[in-house]
Amino acid sequence: MKQTAIETLGLTKRYGEVRALEAIDLLVRQGEVFGFLGPNGAGKSTTIRLLLGFLHPSAGSARVLGLDIVHESVAIRRRIGYLPGGIALYDTLTGEQLLEYLGRLTGRASVRRREWCERLELSATTLKRLVRDYSRGMRQKIGIVQALQHDPELAILDEPSEGLDPLMQRAFYDILDVLKREGRTIFFSSHVLSEVERVCDRVAIVRQGKLVAVEETAALLSRQKRNVQIRFTGAPPRLDSVPGVSAIERSNGRGGLEGPRDTGGPKGPHYLRCRVEGDMRPFLAAIADAGVEDLTIEPARLEDAFLELYQGGHQ
Amino acid sequence: MNWALFWQTCRFQRVRLALVCVALAVWGFLLPVIYARFGSQFSALLNSGLLPKEFANFGGGDVFSLPGSIALSFIHPIAIILISVFAIGFSSAAVAGERERGTLEVALARPVSRQTFYFTLLMASWVFVATTIAALLAGGVSGSMFAGVAGELAFERLPLLWVNGVILFGAFAAIGLAASVSFDRLPPALGWALGIVITMYVMQVLGSLWPAAEILQPYSLFYYLKPKPILTGAAEPSDLAVLALVIALAVAWALVVFPRRDLAAPS
Repeated sequence: MKQTAIETLGLTKRYGEVRALEAIDLLVRQGEVFGFLGPNGAGKSTTIRLLLGFLHPSAGSARVLGLDIVHESVAIRRRIGYLPGGIALYDTLTGEQLLEYLGRLTGRASVRRREWCERLELSATTLKRLVRDYSRGMRQKIGIVQALQHDPELAILDEPSEGLDPLMQRAFYDILDVLKREGRTIFFSSHVLSEVERVCDRVAIVRQGKLVAVEETAALLSRQKRNVQIRFTGAPPRLDSVPGVSAIERSNGRGGLEGPRDTGGPKGPHYLRCRVEGDMRPFLAAIADAGVEDLTIEPARLEDAFLELYQGGHQ
Repeated sequence: MNWALFWQTCRFQRVRLALVCVALAVWGFLLPVIYARFGSQFSALLNSGLLPKEFANFGGGDVFSLPGSIALSFIHPIAIILISVFAIGFSSAAVAGERERGTLEVALARPVSRQTFYFTLLMASWVFVATTIAALLAGGVSGSMFAGVAGELAFERLPLLWVNGVILFGAFAAIGLAASVSFDRLPPALGWALGIVITMYVMQVLGSLWPAAEILQPYSLFYYLKPKPILTGAAEPSDLAVLALVIALAVAWALVVFPRRDLAAPS
């Protein structure tokens, strides 16, 4: 059984009457990549700042790597790496001086600096330039290296791919893959759902300071409805009673569609659109003998799952 | 005390420190020279009755004696402003400035407690203040030698004068740092610290020029800077005790406030 990297119990943060975080119960296992999702102001950064000891909880408790966030904050920070969102750096230092200084402050050898610099294409020449001359993306790369250079057991990354170009995003995902293979724990918040979908084992979704869902990424996606479009050689079959099938739109024989929604797109005399959730087998069995001419299944995306959970929350 | 933070802070400030020290040494050099060249003329002018006698004692300094001129080099606005670059400017910006720029969370994400962070910056500010006061004194001694009046100087009392200056401006640095840990932005921290120094300075100078305002002087920390009495052997140890008490109060405030503060995300 995997040990716990982060565990919060009823973690709450209030600013006067304002409840920034409301009784968050979270469990992140060691060795997993855990995505923390939510729009601005949802409570992601508040949670991270509580874990790091920047904020004091109003109620509840939390442990990071088995250590209490209130009483053992320094010991926690000795074992983690942290990338703040929109990181600010000391502009009067060169990249190399900055990494050296932050490494000394950490008190642990920067054993992986060179490796991460190479992966993120931070050359020796670049590192000799002043940070003030760096672009947004360069600063972010330095931010990633400073968080991971001492090979921490747990990396807490706030919007880590912000400002990186697509190539560097890929290099960053490769770094996460390496860390994941080595059994490091990564806790990261993001707005970019596609990257969460790509790298995270599990995701938590937070909304207005409350935890809406914590699920395996794969399970969340498998639960998510897929958009299906089918063109038949003849009249579309009735699918109303097939488990998992909803929002059916079928051709009405006059060149249009009838159903609960009309989402546009191709229409024809033998056309059907629907959403399929969960196990696909009953649906496939139902259309097997119906003369399928063309079939398009749009894969479930985390964006949709995320939006659905959010819309559900709002309702 | 965190040595990595301490040395980096020194590295960040080294150019500014060098410039302030040179300026203070030049200023300290000038006053004994002015005393040696024009002291008797100033004395005659004052004795003629053209100037009120109170002008002979600006904040406890004068240009009629070597101890008086060295005292004037300490209490003159030029010296106060230069030393305050570190006693107020650095200390006020040390935490609030980093907080405002967003660099504080990069540093505090390391295994450094807030108490250690505070003490390291306090030590750094005292080292800067001690260096600037030493530069001012070195200038004064050099000026005395250059002007040929070094014989009037009690060299054995200079260390006590240095300690007195360091404790006074060290107290202001402690106040500045206490303000710095109390605010998220530099302007209010700097405003409070600067306001306290200016108010105290006005109280001291006003009290020295206007007998009716003398009652205000004990409430000013500058009142406990006694260069002339120290150099003439008339200083009282209780002056240092008052300054030490103020430092203790400022440190206690910072140690209560800083670790308990919530450091929300920089806006």
